Amino acid sequence: MIFDVCVESFPYVAGLIINGLVIGVIYALMGLGLTLIFSVLGVVSFAHGEHYMIGGFVAYFLLKWIDGFPPLLAVVFAGVATFVIGAVFDRLFLRPMHSGRVERPAEYAILVTFGFSFFLQYLTLAVIGPFPMKAQRFLDWRIKPLFGTVAMYSTRVVAALIAIVLISIVLWFMYRTWTGRGLRAVSQDKDAAAVTGINSLNMSTLAFGLGTMLAGMSGATLVQVFSWVFDVGVPASAKSFVVIVLGGMGSIPGAMLGGLMIGTLESLGAGCFPDPNRGMAYKDAFGLLVFALVLLFRPQGFFGRKL
Amino acid sequence: MRSLGAPSIMTIVLLLVVAFAAPPVMSFYSVPPYWFHVAIVAYFYAILASSWSLLAGYAGQFSFGHMALMAVGAYTTGLLGRYMSFGVVEGIVSGTLLAGLFGVVIGYLCLRLRRTYLALFTIAFSEILRLTLMAEHEFTEGPDGLPLTPLFATTSKVPAYYAMLGLLVVSLVFMYWLVNSRFGLFFRAIREDEEAAAAMGVHVVRYRVMVFTISSMIAGLAGAVEAHYVEIITPNIFLVLQMSIVIAMAVIGGLESLIAAAFGAIIIHFALELLRPVGNWRMVVFGLLLMLTLRFFQNGLLHPLLQRMFRQRVLAETVAKRQVPSEG
Repeated sequence: MIFDVCVESFPYVAGLIINGLVIGVIYALMGLGLTLIFSVLGVVSFAHGEHYMIGGFVAYFLLKWIDGFPPLLAVVFAGVATFVIGAVFDRLFLRPMHSGRVERPAEYAILVTFGFSFFLQYLTLAVIGPFPMKAQRFLDWRIKPLFGTVAMYSTRVVAALIAIVLISIVLWFMYRTWTGRGLRAVSQDKDAAAVTGINSLNMSTLAFGLGTMLAGMSGATLVQVFSWVFDVGVPASAKSFVVIVLGGMGSIPGAMLGGLMIGTLESLGAGCFPDPNRGMAYKDAFGLLVFALVLLFRPQGFFGRKL
Repeated sequence: MRSLGAPSIMTIVLLLVVAFAAPPVMSFYSVPPYWFHVAIVAYFYAILASSWSLLAGYAGQFSFGHMALMAVGAYTTGLLGRYMSFGVVEGIVSGTLLAGLFGVVIGYLCLRLRRTYLALFTIAFSEILRLTLMAEHEFTEGPDGLPLTPLFATTSKVPAYYAMLGLLVVSLVFMYWLVNSRFGLFFRAIREDEEAAAAMGVHVVRYRVMVFTISSMIAGLAGAVEAHYVEIITPNIFLVLQMSIVIAMAVIGGLESLIAAAFGAIIIHFALELLRPVGNWRMVVFGLLLMLTLRFFQNGLLHPLLQRMFRQRVLAETVAKRQVPSEG
């Protein structure tokens, strides 16, 4: 029984945890984008996974069409593309919400972002087709199995390293630049921010663009890991929801902690499940279990504001 | 609120006559059975869209798990029929009840919280349920599809047509009665202003859970009947994309009217069938239409037309309630 291995073998468990943290860094990046959008706009974007999907496709096609295109630059381009998509969507569909031109803004926001995800998925399906694609590895680099038992995937490690750099840049931006401080100010108190001369509408567009950009860049780093298809964003969305609810909606440290925890938990759950095949299949179900428990016992998550 | 005058009753009677008289007429002109099938599925979507609009339009709760609850009904009757040799009727009843049970549990988990949580949780729930049904393929046949006993022991589509139409009429009448009853008043009050409703003594969470459970049961019932009609189900019946279609139907029809949502579903389903040669681009346009409807015609495209047809006046109440900003 595999389960016994989990009880007895420390290296096996340690390997699972390290693998979980590696993928958890990407979840954290996804969650960071979503939490940034929520903190500034008060809106959960149900199209978050679709930006992830589009970011992946942008990177994929750049690498495929242009020989020797640097992968890092592809990630940056994916970020730029999804930033533009997000900012334009915000200007066209979300900004009217803030100026009271839309009835029932909270309900509208849920539906319109959901409608956007529907639109983006079918657009991708119509343009690209239903066949899964996989990008080449960013780096040709093999890693020995950890402790001799747990396989490490170099593609994931590369993705995680890129994600760590991106997270650091976001944190520097949010805490060390005036624009970032402006964003945080709007998320804390829109009116007070307006008094000090911060244009909260522009900040909303910026926050939405940055949030979708982070999703797009997560997708671009992972396109070399998973096969990519038009509905790849749906589980990614579901996972980002779990991450930000666990960490506390709108909390930056919460999104990072939540991402790492969900990654680790999935890896441990899948690796220690009595039947390994089922364990892999249920990998995503562990997140839901956490979701239910959080809703039951601590709906505001780790660092969330009181609901 | 929505008191129907004489002309509107005439309209409804007329529509019912058309719907019920369609099969003999269609047989007379030997319309291919394919169009019976399209009509049956259209009614199925009409049940889903109207029960979703009961939840979203009247109670202000957004669930993205409506198709998943439909699938709970479908898989319950499928699995019980296969392993416990339940009959069609027992299976459908158990499917409905189990969907209701899921509704109660999910409702209690999410409906105490802000409305975004229900949307977040149901999308995750629906994805996990799909993965589970895929993973347990030894038991559920996974993507190969679980076979079910046919709804009627005949190859004709006419009995199934009447069954689905009857189900649509019964569920519409039931929901119509519900929203105009005392309970309907309570959950509409909750939607408009939760604190005020609570202050007036409405048990907010209880009524929300109740509406959610009822709409889940209707979805489960529709799913179970539809599953016996198509005789095979796969976990792909409730992809999130399928859910988006139901939502788009309800929104484009008109969220705040059960009948508009049902009509929206029927019209859109026929339109999508007719546009099948266009391929996926019809869905792209449809998605765009959904977003534009939300942005510019929040009452839907069909609802205003129907209102004109039914000669209903927009009551001052509707105008007044728009002034109240809703919760974030």
